[in-house]
Amino acid sequence: MLLTLLLLGAVYVAFVVILLAAGAGATVMLVVVGVLVFAQLFLSDKIALRAMGAREVSPDQAPGLHAMIERLCIQADLPKPKVAVADTPVPNAFALGRSQKKATVCATTGIMNTLSPAELEGVMAHELAHVKNRDVLIMTIASFFASVAAIITQFGFFFGGGMGDDDEGGAGFLVVLLVSFAVYILSFFLMLALSRYREFSADRGAALVTGRPSALSSALLKISGRMEQVPQQDLRAAGEMNAFFIVPTSVKGALQTVFSTHPPMEKRIERLEGLERQLQAGVAA
Amino acid sequence: MGLLDALFGGGSKLKAPAPDRLFAMTTAHVTLETELDLHSRGVAGIVFQPLSTADFTALVREAEELLASAAEDTGSRVESADDSHGYRWIKVRDSDFEDLVVSLNLISSQLQSGGYGDRLLACVFPFTQGTGGRSVHFIYNFKRGSFYPFVPAGGPHARDNEEELRLKAQVGGELPIEPDLTRWFPLWDVPL
Repeated sequence: MLLTLLLLGAVYVAFVVILLAAGAGATVMLVVVGVLVFAQLFLSDKIALRAMGAREVSPDQAPGLHAMIERLCIQADLPKPKVAVADTPVPNAFALGRSQKKATVCATTGIMNTLSPAELEGVMAHELAHVKNRDVLIMTIASFFASVAAIITQFGFFFGGGMGDDDEGGAGFLVVLLVSFAVYILSFFLMLALSRYREFSADRGAALVTGRPSALSSALLKISGRMEQVPQQDLRAAGEMNAFFIVPTSVKGALQTVFSTHPPMEKRIERLEGLERQLQAGVAA
Repeated sequence: MGLLDALFGGGSKLKAPAPDRLFAMTTAHVTLETELDLHSRGVAGIVFQPLSTADFTALVREAEELLASAAEDTGSRVESADDSHGYRWIKVRDSDFEDLVVSLNLISSQLQSGGYGDRLLACVFPFTQGTGGRSVHFIYNFKRGSFYPFVPAGGPHARDNEEELRLKAQVGGELPIEPDLTRWFPLWDVPL
């Protein structure tokens, strides 16, 4: 997932550099970047659903899931999102869509078979909290800013000199490319930090809506335990979609924290425990 | 939701209940009965999501006891039950419609004064339509302070949207009806 995101961004930056080198003006550039972001906002949910093999289900096909989401929506004061199910044994769930009204929440058959109703409710409430917090939109905008930051650096370089000499054209181009990547990578890590922060927010939102932080904790433990037992090809097939997954499909060493879209499991459970303590202490406390 | 809330992932509180408009049902009931041929089934329920904390359990028990002693005067019967989704229903049976509304309001105001108003989900008023015996529900959403009709159709989890919209047009003047149709959430398998 990390690599995919990084490469995707790198392609953006390289693309813009090449356009600049080809002599495109600022207006053309803005239009091109605008179109890309537009496509990301308006098409990515459909593409992602298809990539996961998820299909929208009617209340008839998944009455339990629909009824659960309807009640959570009343509680969270949200319009009802589309409900989709992906037919895979990987236990996971995710939310898609740029706005509250266009949202889709998806659960895999794996997660529905693995978790108890209360645990599944916690997970779906987490995904609805992403919808409520407009996380897809915010992350898209954040990644857009990352690209814009890189573009501004490029403009700075082009107008700040280094273009006068014809001989230095090749070297100047390389410097621009490198600095753009550096700016991009920095903003990329900031984006990851933002994503981790928003995971905590979604956990907290879910705990507030269900009133059962411990159910979400136990769901997280169950899912993460199950994750390693699932065959490798399923993990790889799911690897592209981590951003709005409840748990990323691979959880490794400590170094990974900074490279990760999700906070470490222990930290999430620790915070949920804190919420449970607050809850048990009652309103007066 | 403010800009800061949007940036930092939402407020730290659930939405509190909207100003209470539950009592609009007592006056609208007359219109429902006389003009629309909708008759109360003599039962109504309030549904909320119980917390498994000592504080909350004590509050609910207190509210239930209060309701039970009030019910002795009015002659209502009170039951509570947990449904398959883990929500608690408190059901009141009384042939006097006003007593139903007063009883449900007693529970909701107890929870609200205890600081747990945000756990309240809905009140459900089941009616029977004309002589055909078709069932029509009016659901009160606490978060939004509004009512909406819910008419289950024949099939499993099918609802009669045409009838619901007709009811909206007919009682819109009497009841604060939820304007946003995307918030007309059904409640299936209501234990009433």
